[in-house]
Amino acid sequence: MTLFLLKRVGTSAIVLFSLSVIVFLLTRLIPSNPAVIYAGPKARPEELARVTAELGLDQPLYLQFFRYLGGLVTGDWGNSLATKRPVLDELALRTPATLELLAVAMLFALVVGVILGVIAARRPGRILDMVIRFLSIGGVSMPAFWLGLLLQVFFVGALGILPATGQFSTEIKYLSPITSVTGFPLLDSLLTGNWVAYSDGLAHVILPALTLAAYPLGLIARMTRASMLDVAEQDFVFTARAYGLREGLIRWKLALRNALPPTMTIVGLAAAYTLTGTFYVEIVFNWPGIGQFAAGAMLAVDYPAIVAITMLSAAGYLVANLVVDIVQARLDPRARLS
Amino acid sequence: MEVTQLRRTPRLTVALVLASAVVLSGCTATNNGNEPGGTTVLKVAASAAVTTWNPVTSFSTEALYMGNVYETLIWRNPDGAAEEFTPGLAETWAASSDGLTWTFDIREGATFHDGEPVNAEAVKLSIEAAKAKGGASFIWAPLESIEATDEYTAVFHLSYAAPLDLIAASTYGSWIVSPKALAAADADENYFEEGKDAGSGPFTVDSYTPGSSVVLKRYDDYWNKDALPYYSIVDIAITPDAVTSQQMLTSGEVDLATNIPLANVKTVADSIGAEVRTSNSPFNFVALFNTTRPPLDDPMVRQALSYAVPYDDIIDVGAQGYGTQSRAAVPKGIFPYSDDVPVYTQDLDKARDLLAQAGHEGGGFDLVLTYASENSAEANFVPLIKDAFAQIGVDVEVRGELFNQQWENAKADPASAQDIFVLYYWPTYSDAGADNLWSLFHSSEAPFFNLSYWKNAQFDTMIDDAAVLSGSDRAAAQAKYIEAMNLLVDQAPAIFLYDTQAILVSPPDLNVGQFNENYPFTTFFAPITPAS
Repeated sequence: MTLFLLKRVGTSAIVLFSLSVIVFLLTRLIPSNPAVIYAGPKARPEELARVTAELGLDQPLYLQFFRYLGGLVTGDWGNSLATKRPVLDELALRTPATLELLAVAMLFALVVGVILGVIAARRPGRILDMVIRFLSIGGVSMPAFWLGLLLQVFFVGALGILPATGQFSTEIKYLSPITSVTGFPLLDSLLTGNWVAYSDGLAHVILPALTLAAYPLGLIARMTRASMLDVAEQDFVFTARAYGLREGLIRWKLALRNALPPTMTIVGLAAAYTLTGTFYVEIVFNWPGIGQFAAGAMLAVDYPAIVAITMLSAAGYLVANLVVDIVQARLDPRARLS
Repeated sequence: MEVTQLRRTPRLTVALVLASAVVLSGCTATNNGNEPGGTTVLKVAASAAVTTWNPVTSFSTEALYMGNVYETLIWRNPDGAAEEFTPGLAETWAASSDGLTWTFDIREGATFHDGEPVNAEAVKLSIEAAKAKGGASFIWAPLESIEATDEYTAVFHLSYAAPLDLIAASTYGSWIVSPKALAAADADENYFEEGKDAGSGPFTVDSYTPGSSVVLKRYDDYWNKDALPYYSIVDIAITPDAVTSQQMLTSGEVDLATNIPLANVKTVADSIGAEVRTSNSPFNFVALFNTTRPPLDDPMVRQALSYAVPYDDIIDVGAQGYGTQSRAAVPKGIFPYSDDVPVYTQDLDKARDLLAQAGHEGGGFDLVLTYASENSAEANFVPLIKDAFAQIGVDVEVRGELFNQQWENAKADPASAQDIFVLYYWPTYSDAGADNLWSLFHSSEAPFFNLSYWKNAQFDTMIDDAAVLSGSDRAAAQAKYIEAMNLLVDQAPAIFLYDTQAILVSPPDLNVGQFNENYPFTTFFAPITPAS
């Protein structure tokens, strides 16, 4: 186990390093002047020259890269060109909001996706299976920003039962301010028993989480259905039936447990993919997370921010993969960590 | 069987989901309660990001907040007001007849939010800081020195005549800042960045969450008791996406939204019973011809192309009708704008004739046009230019690039650069002679914003003279500028497309003050009151 972890950390480090080279070069080779972004579009040539020198942009690119790499290792990821604050501070400030949104979305996708998958596999090809197939393929195919707008139109515009945007209502910070415990505001409101803030936060997270969950939910439902169908053909299911175990017990406990490992693989990858999906969803719902920051950084060619976000997303993928492997080993003792 | 081992996880999950469902059924969308804790809160959605809280270096969208927190010596009034200026921290001011010495009498009794008094020394230090390290430091180029002759008198000495009143009223680089904070910012360049402020305006920055919100609090010791804000708190949700801010306004999550998608303005106003108000803005669109090589080095070809452009359609498509055709790059309402400057109107026959006269019968040449892809108005209207030029036999290749790239490419080498550069432009302070006309069309060795790469000695002399006159005799300066603009229209180094209008969706339950085109990024919150 330890050896496995060490190996994985080693390969991850290589992947991250290569990525930093690629992204740094890409963001710097396009014809765009970081000094302009820093100083503003109307800064005069003298001001641009001053900023260029200050940011070290007049040095050869390889020197800039090594200086940047040194910073990455020592925890100085540079300042965002657009906000002039340290990129790491910017990301640290926004990551909790994104992770909370992601967690709620993935929890929803996992629970509902697995349930739908099991139900669909019960009588393949029948009407219920068709409906679930329609929903899951729809969820996978529909662009997130479009789905988000549709949900807003329906739940906010037509029904008026949910707030359209934001993480909390404005009033919360005056009436029931959240005491920070873990730094995750929704969790903190729950831990501190701040029910006003908690229910407000939950109401706000539903629509973005639903939007974000559409893709992984569809994927999980399809995968669960497929592997449930595989498992249903196996001998131990027939044996269990022969012993007279209840159909529900066979399906939801025996078969499902054996069908879960492939689903778990998908969950890990889908979670990492969904992290990048927050880019659109956060804009539509004005969610104060890294997605919004990322979109702004890309439009502004804010290269320290772009590199940092790419590194963070990549790290997210790597960690998700690692977690999937570990969980899979727990679920299926035959899968050794090697 | 391993059944028992498996129980824990699913049951916990289901329990959590159920708990959430119970809490949810009890919630509805938040209401508009405006009285938390006895305070009055105005909730606003605005797109303005904060690139810095430093009032000296501020040169971007944070002007929305700066204009409510800081004050200038004097404020420039919107076009059409009875007076040209309103006193700010200066009660009175006067220029010497040669325009080289300007005296400002500073208001007594005004204080900065940190308790320091506003006086001539604070004015001197603030402007000196702006000239030394401001993002817009160049606006102070004519300034030689400032003298605090007594506690409340500041005398500005210029090296050449300039309209110092317009400069002192600038939305960038003219804020008066507490000397204590200036000293602190000298010691630590990030002093302001957590959201500190040191202004004297009607609001102070109460809290700032980067990328998410800015909360402004009323400054109860504000010197102008007549202009004390009604709202004790203004809570601004930073909302970069216009459709999102539209959702927030229509769902009642905010009371005011400063950024509604142009195409939806009417629908939104109808749905909440709001009034749509339009006013001048300092923003306009120009399409600059590359005058360094054939065929665009020939003024007749440029005139022909200027006649081919469907100006009205472009305003309809780019601005949803909220715009007026530009007169020689000076935005409507901004000095030295004049209705007397001629414009081109679309006349394809005349365009064909001119092309033929210039030796390009039936067109027959290709042009490359670049525009800023993040600017949706440009993306919408550039196809109209392509279509119109096709009708006179000129083929246009349209290229969308991020502005930053578009501009870098254009500055690199005029000989290989684009043929037409579509630019969205505005003057740094309210002098489109010293800015738009100079920056876009005065000749220079290396291109900056003069992306026509045009060199015309006659034009250069005219606007250089006008600039000097504008410090002492504004009317004479304007006459000179009009001469220069006539030359510009005749020589057509650019197509003058349109000036945009500022649009305010004014909700029925609020009285929102007049938009001031001289502070285009700022919504002034102090005058806003409930309608009832």
